[in-house]
This record gives sequence, structure tokens and C-alpha cells, in this order.
Amino acid sequence: MALESGLTYILMNIILNFSIYLILSLSLNIEVGFTGIPQFGRLTAALVGSIAVGGVIGRVAATLIGAPTGSEFISYNAPIITQINNYLSTHAIASITLLVLAILTAVLLGALIGLLTALPAIRLKESYLGITLLSFGEILRTITYNSPEIIGGTLGIAAPSFFSFTGAYESFAVMLFIVLMAIFCYLIAERISKSPLGRVMRAVRDSELASQVYGRDIMIVRIYAIVIGSSMAALAGALYSIFTKSVRADIFTRYSWTFLPWAYIMLGGVGNNLGVALGVIILTIARSTISIYKYEISELIPIDPVWLEYILIGMVIILLTLFRPQGILPEKPVTTVSKKELEDIKRKVASFTS
Amino acid sequence: MTKSLRRGVESSMLPIVLTSIAYASILAIGCAAITLWYASTRVFNFAHASMVSWGFYITFILYKLFDSSPYLFMPIAALITGLFGIAIYVSVIRRLIQVKASEITLMMVTLGADFVLFAFLNVVIDYLANVYRWDIRSVNIVLKDVTIATIYGVTIKGVYLVAPFSALAFLISIYMFLNMTSTGIAMRASIENPELSSILGINTDKIYALAWFIGGLLAGFSGGLLTMITQGTSSIGSDLIVLYFAGSIVGGLQNILGGLLGGLLVGLSERLIPYYLSAVFPWIYSYRFAVPLIMLVATLLLYPRGLAGLVERRWR
Repeated sequence: MALESGLTYILMNIILNFSIYLILSLSLNIEVGFTGIPQFGRLTAALVGSIAVGGVIGRVAATLIGAPTGSEFISYNAPIITQINNYLSTHAIASITLLVLAILTAVLLGALIGLLTALPAIRLKESYLGITLLSFGEILRTITYNSPEIIGGTLGIAAPSFFSFTGAYESFAVMLFIVLMAIFCYLIAERISKSPLGRVMRAVRDSELASQVYGRDIMIVRIYAIVIGSSMAALAGALYSIFTKSVRADIFTRYSWTFLPWAYIMLGGVGNNLGVALGVIILTIARSTISIYKYEISELIPIDPVWLEYILIGMVIILLTLFRPQGILPEKPVTTVSKKELEDIKRKVASFTS
Repeated sequence: MTKSLRRGVESSMLPIVLTSIAYASILAIGCAAITLWYASTRVFNFAHASMVSWGFYITFILYKLFDSSPYLFMPIAALITGLFGIAIYVSVIRRLIQVKASEITLMMVTLGADFVLFAFLNVVIDYLANVYRWDIRSVNIVLKDVTIATIYGVTIKGVYLVAPFSALAFLISIYMFLNMTSTGIAMRASIENPELSSILGINTDKIYALAWFIGGLLAGFSGGLLTMITQGTSSIGSDLIVLYFAGSIVGGLQNILGGLLGGLLVGLSERLIPYYLSAVFPWIYSYRFAVPLIMLVATLLLYPRGLAGLVERRWR
């Protein structure tokens, strides 16, 4: 198909990677940038989002066509998913309902896992909190990877293709949907940044003591941040599974789902949503370039170009922390109302006093 | 149970117990490194992962080159990773400590260093694989070990003794260093109160560099010993780093003894608890990786200061 050839394919890949990583990085930014929680377990929520698509909604779809949902769902996954896809390709309404359900389940389960990880860990400080969150992620990944009941363990399962009813435009529809979700998440993150909640989050980050003096419960604020961030990260995981049509625990590695978003937000500017988007764009393009020119690079030097990516990300992290810790676009004080409104208020006040 | 049967059970269990002890001692050596770094410079070092991998691969490559006893190459591997430790300290950590960067910033920067070290290790491996046609992308043999004795038909491998005894030797020598040499006492002083000790004329910068060197040494030695009991790839360090972290947090991150004990406990619990429970719950063995992590979380929630806290309380 013309859509999937050459340049279009590369461009689509970059756009999809950008959108999914933008959601992931924005979610991380809410926790790290706004609230100062060292979230080293971003993959926990993302994995849960993926489970929501494959493990939960996949089974719902199986019930819809009368297929088994127990252990047969895992062991005969490929034929069952083929049946589901055949059904979905002719039933547009069922597809859309399932898609909406999948997104909602992912977000809700993400919020739940965020709450579950936040409650025991939130009183810990700095590195301890980071390591605990990291361990939660590893525990969840070990469990999902080793138990075939949830999402097929080591082999993984396939996710239903919710967009198969669009026929030839399927990949385009998926891309459009994911891009729209990314824009939606960006707007939410901006809204949070400008809301009273966002300002309290920043207050907690900058001085826990001061915000306590002003009567804020810092634990509640941090739990809010983790819950919101986790539900957004779960959305990213779910979208990734919808896009790749596969649900596997071993994809959710520490590198791709925790450390890369960290590098992105550090490059763009911690605490600044626009900066985060910029960081994601720059590094996504850089990573894609390395993978596109893979063969040319490996002809020049006898190594696998994957390692160049590690060197790039590593050097970005080191050089930024040393020389520009605030990132490319530093965080700015947020304005809650637009400049025009401020002028209006000023004029009104002036008219009252005169 | 007849006598011969009991002997059979014992002889099948003995190697598992011995391997677990060796494995736990290897983890303990690495945990001592993490504890030393954290106690001296408040850095939770992610680069430990690739230092372990480097130690693992240097030992393996030298073994392949010279075909001699692997134990000879572990000190060399440890020295090289020790130099990595100094390099990381001098190039990034020193500057960040001067500007009083937060623990999270320090952690992130070691993560960057980890990626770079990991990438260079793989570059070396790829180079050897592509240019010299060495098939070393994964080390799928456990290196040839000396047999020390045979009990009930069970061969007692060298590593069963070398690993615990080197952990013990490290413990004793670090204790002697910290308590009996003036540099060691200066190190303790700069860990406890950096400002006061620099007023007293101690060069805290040099002391921290030394701490990073010793840490790298321990990490590399731990990686080198791993070649004797397990197979692995260049990601062996990052596969195990969470266990190393778990061990050092269980140990309390305060002193080397705590780190070693924590590592031992975590290593034994990962190997032995699932092994014994697998008789009752056969499915548990594949989840053994989660056991130390659950232990870590439990320690943090119930007794945040770890084993060192226990030890300290009794001694005061």
C-alpha cells in the first residue's frame, strides 16, 4: 500500500513515537516536574494500561463473540483474536465502544495502580522513594512476565485491532486517534499546570515546610500527582498496545518506559510542558535517524548502532545535568489568566476608583 | 527415610545451598560498593550495573585470551572498574556535589554514566565479534573452575569458597582500613561531617575519589565472580542492579557491614526461599526475582534504616 511505503512509513513512525512518548513524558512531568516525586517506576502504570487493553478488553471482546475467556483465551489466543478482528471489521459501533471502554479501563486501572503504589511509598524521601517505585515496577513486570494467566507471560498475546472497520485507512485512523489523544493529554497537562492544583504541586516541590505552614496536606498533593500521572502513563501504554496490536510484558523495559521519558523531560525542561514536547521531538527524531541510517553507520564502524543511541541518551543526561539543569526551555512562572483579561480587570478597577 | 535416600537428598541439596551462598556473597560484595558510595557522597549509583557487566566481561575476555584460571583476572577487572569509579567521580559527581545537587540529580547523572559505560562495553563486544569473529555477545558457559573436594559425590567448586571468603576478606580489610589507617579515619570523618573535616585539613575531594575507586573495585570484582556461577550477556549488571539496590537498602546504607549483610540476606532469600517453597508451591520458582524486591519494600516501610539501624541501636 502506498501509505506504508518509504518516507510515509518513516514519518508515521516518528509521529506515533512522538505522540506516545509525549503522553508518557507529560505524565512523568506532572510527577517529577511539578511535584518533585522521583518516579523511577513509570513502566508500572504503562504496563497496567497495556494489560487493560489486552488482558481485560481482549477478554470482553472474546465474550462478545462467544469465545472462551479463561486459560483457553491465552492458549488459543491467535485464532480467537483473528475471530474478534473479523467480527470488529464489520461492526463499527462495537469497535468504537470497545475502544472507548479500553481507554477508560486503562485510565482507571492506571489511577488505581498509582494509588496502590503511592499509599505505601509516599512517606519515603528522595532516593528511597525512587528505588521503591522502581522496585514496584520490577515486581509487576516479573509477575506479568512469569504468569501466563494475565497477558500470556513470556509469549504475550495479541490485542484486538479496534480500527479494522476503517478498512484500508486503518493505520491512518490509528495514527490520527493517537495524535488526538496526545493533544488532549497536552491540554490536560497545561490545564493542571495553570490550575490551583498545579500551583500547590509546585509549592510542595519547592518547599514542603512552607506549603504545610499554609495548611496544605502534602501527602494528598503527592498522591494526586502520582494518580494523575499514572493514569496518563497507563493511557500511553494502552495506546502503544493498540498501535502495535500486541501485549507483552517484556516490551515494558526500564530503559524505554522509565529512563527515556526522564531524558526527554530533562532535555526539554523539567516542569515546562512545552519544553517537554520539544525534548520529545528532538530525541525522537535523533533516535529515528540512528535507526534509519543503521546500515550506513554499521558499514562505517563495525558496531551495532543501537549503542550509539545509548551513548547519545547518556551524554544528553550527563551534559544537561552539568551545564544546563533547567533544560532547553526553562520553567516559567505560570499565568492563570490571559494578558488581555488582566488588562480588562485593571481597567475595571481603575474605573471603580476614579 | 533410609540412610542412602537421605544422603541422596542431601547431596542434591548441597550444591544448591553452596551456590546460593556463593551467589549471595557475590551480591554482598556489590552491595558493599553501593553502600560505600551512598554513605560517602549520597549517590545512589546506577552505573554500578555496567561496572558489574564490565567486570564480568573483562574476566571472561581475559580468560578466553590467556586460558588460565579465571580468578587471576578478577583483580585486573576490578582495578579497571575502580578506575571507572574515579572517572565518574572526577568528571561529574565532584562538580555536582560542589553545587549541592539533589540526590535525584546525582542519581540521574549516574544513570547517564551507566548508559555510556554500557554502550562502550557493547561496542567492545561488537568489535571483537565482528573483527575477530569471537562469539561473545552472550557468555553461555560458566567458566571452568577448580575442584577443591568431593563430598558424597558433590564436587565442591572453587567459587563456593572463594566468594564467601573474598566477601569476608573485603569486610576485614575495609574495616582495618577505616579504623587503623589515617586515610581510613579521614574517610570516616569526611563521611560523617564533610565541612568539619575539610576545616581540619582533610582533602575530602581525594577521600571521595578513593571511595569511588574502592566502590568500583568491589563492583568489578562482584561482576568477575559472577562468571563462575552464571551465564549472562552485557546486561547482566542491569538485570541484577535492583537486587543490589535491594540488598544495600535492606542493609541500611549506613556502613559496609550492613551492606554486606543485606546483600547476603537478599541473595539467600532469592535462591533458597523459593527453592524450599517450590516443594509446596511449584509455581513460585519463576517469581523468585520478586522475593528480594518485596523484602526491600517491606524493609523500607517497616524499618527504613535497615539492618544497620538495628546494629547501631544495640551498640549505642
